[in-house]
Amino acid sequence: MQEHIIDARWLEPPEPMELTLDALGSLELNGQLRLLIHRMPHMLFPILQEWGYSYQTNCSDDGTYEIIICHKDQIARLGDPGKP
Amino acid sequence: MSNPAELSLDQAPPIGVPFRFFLTAPLFALFAALMLLWQGPDLLSSRWNPALLGTTHLLTLGYMGLIMLGAILQMLPVVAGVPMQRPKLIASIVHISVTGGILLLCSGLIFSVPVALEISMVALGAALLLFVVLVIITLRRAMPQNVTVRAIRMAALMLAATVLLGLTLLSNYVFGWWLKDREMLVNLHLTWGLLGWVGLLVVGVAYQVVPMFQLTPHYPAKLTSWLAGLLFTCFLGLATTSHSPAFRWVLEAILAVGFATFALTTLWLQSKRRRKLPDVTLNFWRVGMISLLLAIALWFMAQIVPAIKNSDAYELLLGILMIVGFAMSIINCMLYKIVPFLVWFHLQSRRGGNGPKVPNVREILPESRARLQMWLHFSSLCMLLASITLTTTFTYPAALLFGVSNLLLWLNIISPSRLYYLTNGQGQTTASSRLN
Repeated sequence: MQEHIIDARWLEPPEPMELTLDALGSLELNGQLRLLIHRMPHMLFPILQEWGYSYQTNCSDDGTYEIIICHKDQIARLGDPGKP
Repeated sequence: MSNPAELSLDQAPPIGVPFRFFLTAPLFALFAALMLLWQGPDLLSSRWNPALLGTTHLLTLGYMGLIMLGAILQMLPVVAGVPMQRPKLIASIVHISVTGGILLLCSGLIFSVPVALEISMVALGAALLLFVVLVIITLRRAMPQNVTVRAIRMAALMLAATVLLGLTLLSNYVFGWWLKDREMLVNLHLTWGLLGWVGLLVVGVAYQVVPMFQLTPHYPAKLTSWLAGLLFTCFLGLATTSHSPAFRWVLEAILAVGFATFALTTLWLQSKRRRKLPDVTLNFWRVGMISLLLAIALWFMAQIVPAIKNSDAYELLLGILMIVGFAMSIINCMLYKIVPFLVWFHLQSRRGGNGPKVPNVREILPESRARLQMWLHFSSLCMLLASITLTTTFTYPAALLFGVSNLLLWLNIISPSRLYYLTNGQGQTTASSRLN
């Protein structure tokens, strides 16, 4: 499995979303995308769902949100995907 | 209810809903510039000059009002978490009635045409009150603890009060019936409109957009929890002060201190921003906040030095600082955030996961074009202030710069809109050719 990481912390909106959606175009079927961001990207989630991706969110102690995104077919890998 | 910060194509209104307001608004500012070019320094001779009243409403209703209506129609379904019913129909009714009403009101005031004023009363009154009812009903469904929602709800109530007062004053102007304390009601109309509606809206929106776009710390909760409520209470209190000037002064002083606290906090937060890169939006906000602080300082000076308060220049300077310096600067830069983002968002959402790549927001509206317009706006503001404080010679360059600035703003908004329709059209053509 290949993982892509996007560090979008302290980038001005909608740059984190632009980078993420661009990266999804080249995401392999069994790959996953790890997005690091300084605030919860609420507007990204409906698009991910419409486009057929699952995601899982975690928040670390330093306030960084980690969003792990993969194709819906790979749903088992995320545990309880699609839920923020 | 879905998360209020989420926006999906199901909830977002069609792009034409806000854009019809955004594309019309700068033209009204252009008309105002043409008025100043045509009438010259005579236009700024007194705040009671009917032509100046008409020109002021080209800016307050035509420019500021239309953009705010469009932005709120875009934002309402997102804040409330539910799609708006028949958004195109509501936007058409409000847009056509308000635009027509503003044209009639302003031309009626400028050219003294009573019948135009009579029709404008009906058109503006009906459309704006329909809009206010829509906002208040929709926001009742939104999360009540959100400080932005609370401030917008109070701003909408101030808009309703401003419209009702404006209609009363207009009918008095047209039909000449006896009205007690007319000057006091005019001042209340002006205060409620510029500070109550526009000021509270800017305060509420700033809580969200300043930390989000300028990457600053959040506004202190100690401030956001009480500021809008206190300001709103003071605005209501002003209506009861016709026979107690001392109480009015106290309320006005609280308002001045409240808005100054907001402006200083915003400037302080901006100095703490994470990425210290040059930014058009940041500059517009800074000039807006400094203009607000200058207007407050001028008001305090006028309370101490009666000669300032009694001069013709005082009220004109306050008007220019509040309308062109504060409100138009903030609204102008918010357009530069909203318009390219909406174009990008709608194109991105339509293309789906496998469609062709869409241009990013910086390609949709290059910052160099926005920066040029920003300097034109700042120059016109300085020239307008100079035309009042130094010499009327500056009036014509001020009008010219203000006109060019708003023409460029209009072109800067037209360009992303064209890109949207062209790209969208190409996408649809490609999709249909694939089907065929």
